[in-house]
Amino acid sequence: MKKSALYAIPIVYLLLYTLMILLSGVWLFLLSQGLASSHSLLLTLNDIIQMPEIKSIKGLIEVATPHLFAMGGLIFVSAHLMLFSTKVSKKVALFVSATLFGFALLDIFSYFMITLGWVVLGWIKLLALLGFLLVFAVLLGLLSVSL
Amino acid sequence: MKFLVTKEPAGTKLITSLMAGVVFFIILYLGFDVVMHAYVIGADIQSVTLTLVGDSENFIEPVLIDTLLLQVHIDLFVTLFALMILTSIFIRFHERASITRWMVHLVFSLGMMTPILLIVAYLGWIWLVPVWISAFVAWHLLACLMGVMVLKKVVFA
Repeated sequence: MKKSALYAIPIVYLLLYTLMILLSGVWLFLLSQGLASSHSLLLTLNDIIQMPEIKSIKGLIEVATPHLFAMGGLIFVSAHLMLFSTKVSKKVALFVSATLFGFALLDIFSYFMITLGWVVLGWIKLLALLGFLLVFAVLLGLLSVSL
Repeated sequence: MKFLVTKEPAGTKLITSLMAGVVFFIILYLGFDVVMHAYVIGADIQSVTLTLVGDSENFIEPVLIDTLLLQVHIDLFVTLFALMILTSIFIRFHERASITRWMVHLVFSLGMMTPILLIVAYLGWIWLVPVWISAFVAWHLLACLMGVMVLKKVVFA
């Protein structure tokens, strides 16, 4: 980072908060898929793939709407800090953030595909969620390298 | 954040007015956040404990983990955005003060600890409720103080 070292402090906490937000988000998703009753992560993941919980379009829209703003905003805030970076090229930052926006969209809308009957199994939601988490981890890694 | 850091505030009336506006709104948000949590979670040790563990004698169910976790999820997100904006502006005006570093560390740590403490208290460590209340009030007061310090610089400079 080229500017004041003090600005590294909010960025470090941005990384920590983002991790906590992602963790609590995944936990919430697993709870909505029956984690509390099955008491097993593997069983819940298997249930999501084989027989995802039935959700109404209204319920999905209620979840998707705040996430469209929140995920878009969080990606923007995190990724724009790469503009300060002197260690990571802008091309790499652009590629990672564009991929992240793509996975975020897929993550938000993948359950619609299940509810609308376009896909029967829940693997697409898990794939989108995993992809989103992994690419976000890459972005956070790049940010921490840039500090 | 990049704009706040790179733009020279002394030269632009617009950016200082915008900073004053956003900080004023954040101070208002902090006040309302305390009131909102007092309604939703509780305003004292007894009411927070009642929300988290319920009362079987009076047939009061504890809050559902989904509901509490959703509140924590939202709190983390909103706190992050509010503190990122507030601390970015605060650092801009108090860069040279030695206490700035510690104030920023403290407000972020307490802001992050608070939702975690609430979940941990819910999961069985109910004795953490007073710690949660103290941490919650402390980070709101500290953030308010930082906001007032920024307003003092921006409005009365």
